[in-house]
Amino acid sequence: MISLENLSVRFENREVLQSISLDIPEGTWSCLVGPNGAGKTTLLRTMLGMQPYSGSIKYNGREIAKNKSLNIAFVPQRPSIPAAMSVAEYVMLGRAKLDGWGKESAHSRNIVHEMLEATQLLGMQTQLVNTLSGGEMQRVLIARALVQEPEVMLLDEPTSALDLHHQIAVLNKVEEIKATGVTVISTMHDITLGAMYAERIIIMQSGRVLLDGESQSVIHSPELRSAFDDRISVHLLENGRPVIIAAKREIGLGNGVI
Amino acid sequence: MNKNQIDRVWRWQITASAAAALLIACLLGVGFGPINLNFGAIVRTLLGLPNGLQAEDRTLLLQLRLPRVVLGALVGAALATSGAVYQSVFRNPLADPYLLGAASGAGLGATIAITSGGGNLHALLPIFAFLGGVLTVAATFLVAGRLFADPSTLLLAGIAVGSFATAFQTYLQQRNSAALRPVYSWILGELTVASWDVVKWAGFYIFIALFVLIRISKVLDALMLSDEEAYSLGVSPQKIRFIAVAAATLATATAVSASGLIGFVGIVVPHLVRGLTKRATNRSLLSIAFVGAAFLVIADLGARTLLSPAELPIGVITAFVGAPFFLFVLRTRNRGSQ
Repeated sequence: MISLENLSVRFENREVLQSISLDIPEGTWSCLVGPNGAGKTTLLRTMLGMQPYSGSIKYNGREIAKNKSLNIAFVPQRPSIPAAMSVAEYVMLGRAKLDGWGKESAHSRNIVHEMLEATQLLGMQTQLVNTLSGGEMQRVLIARALVQEPEVMLLDEPTSALDLHHQIAVLNKVEEIKATGVTVISTMHDITLGAMYAERIIIMQSGRVLLDGESQSVIHSPELRSAFDDRISVHLLENGRPVIIAAKREIGLGNGVI
Repeated sequence: MNKNQIDRVWRWQITASAAAALLIACLLGVGFGPINLNFGAIVRTLLGLPNGLQAEDRTLLLQLRLPRVVLGALVGAALATSGAVYQSVFRNPLADPYLLGAASGAGLGATIAITSGGGNLHALLPIFAFLGGVLTVAATFLVAGRLFADPSTLLLAGIAVGSFATAFQTYLQQRNSAALRPVYSWILGELTVASWDVVKWAGFYIFIALFVLIRISKVLDALMLSDEEAYSLGVSPQKIRFIAVAAATLATATAVSASGLIGFVGIVVPHLVRGLTKRATNRSLLSIAFVGAAFLVIADLGARTLLSPAELPIGVITAFVGAPFFLFVLRTRNRGSQ
């Protein structure tokens, strides 16, 4: 269980996160949504230990900042891509905290091999990372996060640079990771995709949590419109799945309009 | 033998070849000059075996050429390694060891020593240059606002502080026209001041700096990632960046105070080694140190012998060789990537 209690973060005179309290059960996928500047990425950075904060962030009762053995993997929205590093070397960096920097145990080489296979990168391990496409790089980032054998995985807009095919492929992979007991917390602009994959949605606005709950109930709540725009409309497809559209006027879609 | 093992052997081959190149460069450096010395006799003298050099040649070797070659190797290793580290820290292939104002500060320090004209210039100049370099980089960190500033803020602060130091240096030169020639000669770089005393103090600081840089070289991988990714891998990028910059500055300030401003080594050598190894520069720091040392020893040999008995400033040689070579590497790399 990840517990945030009265978590606040200040940048100079501005409070960018204000008294956030949340309980995130282990092995679940929670998706942070909210307009730009709501504090979603700051919340992820704070959980990584990058931002000074007041309040507490605990994992199974222990403060995250003091728990050096806790493994939190991070998949960035815009990775910094080194020039002269192969896919295998880049993925191997995920083992640095466990093995020590510059060291590679036989166990680590096996895990890297496994995860390259799982992310369909096995034929590309010698290719330089700065020559990869956006979709390939995203898979490499997921592979690096996987070899960390993390307890918690944080993903910042994991699908923002991907076409639909790769969005689905990456999210399916994350769903598989969650099924192994990893707690997943992601930010996502696409609320439809977020609601489709995450069992919890946390709506943020101006550094506060506006609403936190089970995905299906959150997307039908008035808070969603209040956080984004009154013109947001939620449509249900024939299979009952929701599609959220920011439309200037009503569009006929599926069976119902809410 | 699997791919990983082949890769590892190849890494050792590169490092061993670089060390061998340095040994050969040193042998050429001590052997050639206005008076050429016999290589066999040099080796026998150095190993304390019989049939070494005669007394005069022995003095020439041990008191003039050897300290000069050792100092050249130290300065070359310091500049090349610092350049590679700066390129990793600032994620900029054109970053050089003088980026944060170490050169301008050392130039100002040297100019103050020369224009004040008091005391023993040979003793004062390196101390003033060293202090100038270190204090200017410290001022850069102060201007940037904090010790753990991000790379772009540091870089801009370095440009501002460096420009200020250069302006002050120019003002001092204008006020003391007699100092123009010695300052100019120092700026172009020289190893003529080499003595075992200089080698001792420069070697002390350069070895400390290189030891720290090579120790942290593997963690420098984290600086090639975003700060968030580095944190998730258990590293505070700000702290590593600060340690790396501090050690590289110590090496650079020492090198500059011992030899003046020698350009191009910090850019050319890391790129050359990266072109050969196809590896990130921080993963080849030891090879870069050896190649940098060899490069400067050979450049100094050229400076001493090309217009013998006159001597060229070594900075002229490194730029003459370095600039076209750099263009050649760039063109080859571009062709390769196409």
